[in-house]
Amino acid sequence: MDYILRKAIKTKENLNEIYMEVSGYDFRDSCVYIYEKKNAILRLMFATDERPVDGSFRIYTVFSIPGDERLFIIVLSLKEPDMTFPSITPYIPAAHWYEREIRDMFGLIPEGHPDPRRLVLHDSFPAGSYPLRKDWNVIERDMKEWGEGKAVKEPYKFMEVEGEGIYEIPVGPVHAGIIEPGHFRFSAVGETIIFLEPRLFYTHKGTEKHFEKIGFTEGVRLSERVSGTSSFSHSAAYCMAVERMTGLDITENAKAIRTLLLELERLYNHIGDIGNMCAGTGLAVGYARGAVIKEHLMQLNERLTGSRYLRGINIIGGVRKDVFIHRDDLISTIDAVTKEYKEMMKLLLDTISHVERLENTGKLSNEIARKLGVTGVAARASGINDDMRKAHPHLLYGRLDFEPHSMSRGDVFARMMIRAEETECSISIVNSLLENSYKGGLVAEMKEIPPYSSAFGYTESPRGSMFYWVMSDENGEPLRVKLRAPSYCNWPAVPFAVHGNIVPDFPLCNKSFNLSYSGCDM
Amino acid sequence: MIKEILKNIISKTHVIPFPEGFRISPEEAAKGMNFQERIDKVFGRSLRIRQVDAGSCNACEWECTALTNPIYDIQRFGIDFVASPRHADALLVTGPISRQMELALKKTYLATPEPRLVIACGDCAIDGGIYKDSYAVTNGVANVIPVDCYIPGCPPTPVGIILGLQQLLDKLTGE
Ligand code: SF4
Repeated sequence: MDYILRKAIKTKENLNEIYMEVSGYDFRDSCVYIYEKKNAILRLMFATDERPVDGSFRIYTVFSIPGDERLFIIVLSLKEPDMTFPSITPYIPAAHWYEREIRDMFGLIPEGHPDPRRLVLHDSFPAGSYPLRKDWNVIERDMKEWGEGKAVKEPYKFMEVEGEGIYEIPVGPVHAGIIEPGHFRFSAVGETIIFLEPRLFYTHKGTEKHFEKIGFTEGVRLSERVSGTSSFSHSAAYCMAVERMTGLDITENAKAIRTLLLELERLYNHIGDIGNMCAGTGLAVGYARGAVIKEHLMQLNERLTGSRYLRGINIIGGVRKDVFIHRDDLISTIDAVTKEYKEMMKLLLDTISHVERLENTGKLSNEIARKLGVTGVAARASGINDDMRKAHPHLLYGRLDFEPHSMSRGDVFARMMIRAEETECSISIVNSLLENSYKGGLVAEMKEIPPYSSAFGYTESPRGSMFYWVMSDENGEPLRVKLRAPSYCNWPAVPFAVHGNIVPDFPLCNKSFNLSYSGCDM
Repeated sequence: MIKEILKNIISKTHVIPFPEGFRISPEEAAKGMNFQERIDKVFGRSLRIRQVDAGSCNACEWECTALTNPIYDIQRFGIDFVASPRHADALLVTGPISRQMELALKKTYLATPEPRLVIACGDCAIDGGIYKDSYAVTNGVANVIPVDCYIPGCPPTPVGIILGLQQLLDKLTGE
């Protein structure tokens, strides 16, 4: 780390966050150094418009080093008129989307980035719109003139594969199933997929800008609505970020409730996902069973919190309801679910036609997963043993006894088995949480938000690592809220996983990743 | 596997028990009784719905998916979700209609044969919900295509969606 510290012009420490500000090309060198020499994982990369503070834009690159609980943040500040920064994508491929996003949203140009196309904004946004700049505002007239096909136009060029017998299959954005929108373009020979290019961000809702508008307290409700099935993980990470920024310590009781609900969220997602994979192989019985168990868990959620998606529980400073008063209900439901789940797994693993479809399908190699910064179940199924609950212990995870699992085969089967192991792990975490009682009330007194302060919040959602970063302005209102959902890291890996598979296996591969469009598109 | 299938064939009772958590008030249940009858009458025995996600957070979709699980099993009323707008009587639209989905939604609407119904499902679809007035959304379905029925909730529960569809029937039969 001395290498970077020597170059740093400014350093700052806040809890486990180490900020190191460097200048010019030192930025790229420092990032490459920590990535290559320390084996660091690129967690996220984002820009801020801090012109109201000191006249500069800043770029934050966040790394974590295996075995170290701290987060290392390498910062670069840019002052107008110089709006370019050295791209790190040629060295750290995982940065490719982040840099394109920064270009779309702030108009800061990553010099040397191999892909000049827009990412987040489609043709409906006129060239020169940079929504996250502080001085960018839409006026009514612009809104009327927008709309796909009306405004100019930075037409998107899909990559083309040429060769004898190669044909293209465009799919979406409106799909056949009840799923979210995204466009997929397959280049195939016969049935085999040679190349797949997804185009996402159809559900882009301007969430980050919206966070700035509605304030920190209302932000909790918005964070719950970023991605439906990870509502609780989102709000837990968001609240954690705001709490850390204000220096607020939540009670042990609130921590226990959050931990418990995070695990319940993981449970209904993982079991539902295992069931959904059966829809990809045509095993209707397995699909129906998964759906029934999931429904039982959702109804448990409703009895505990009043919401099937665990919404309305988190607030800044703690939680609204005590779920431990439903201890008996929890124990009996979890017992029943465990029994049903074991029966389902036995049924699935005994069905050879199902297992054979999963094995060796949709392989994601360890090397590609590493390079693209894949996270969550997909990473653990490809041999990267990374779990935020262990890597950066938060809430009560530091005290709980559990081991993250990983497998090296990287296929759909591995992704199912990792989910199965984590389901059992979550059940045992829930049971051990229910054995103890916890001190303290539900909500800690809210403190005033200091001006120009910032902090990270994070957790392991069912889909993988999730990050929030918040910064306040001079009045303690949000200056910037950055959210990074796990699906954002994993989408670029899907084309690699389906390469060489047949087109009919695409839904199965896709289901095995189970990525959120809305979380990714923000 | 074979055991499972046999068990389903042999047993006359429900293999998957009706959960206790499924709460529905007696009036609602009474109303539900003639639900199928009325669908038979209005839609010639089947109401086919095409679900369109226009920027939702995906919770609304999952509740639609839950409708087809063995517990709610909406197919028993003659209602089903179909894969193409060309097969649909109604579009069920969720989400605040992000600008980048606006065109796709319009095209889907035009691809649906007339007479077509549009159901706005979820708070977002009604007026943008929590996303109201964000630069990237159009504040609800009604700003893009005409709407026949609104189902509130964030997300509406599966039972809520069934009740919403009843409302639509009420409107059509003039009850
Ligand atoms: S209404 Fe609520 S649940 Fe439905 S899409 Fe909007 S935020 Fe999500």
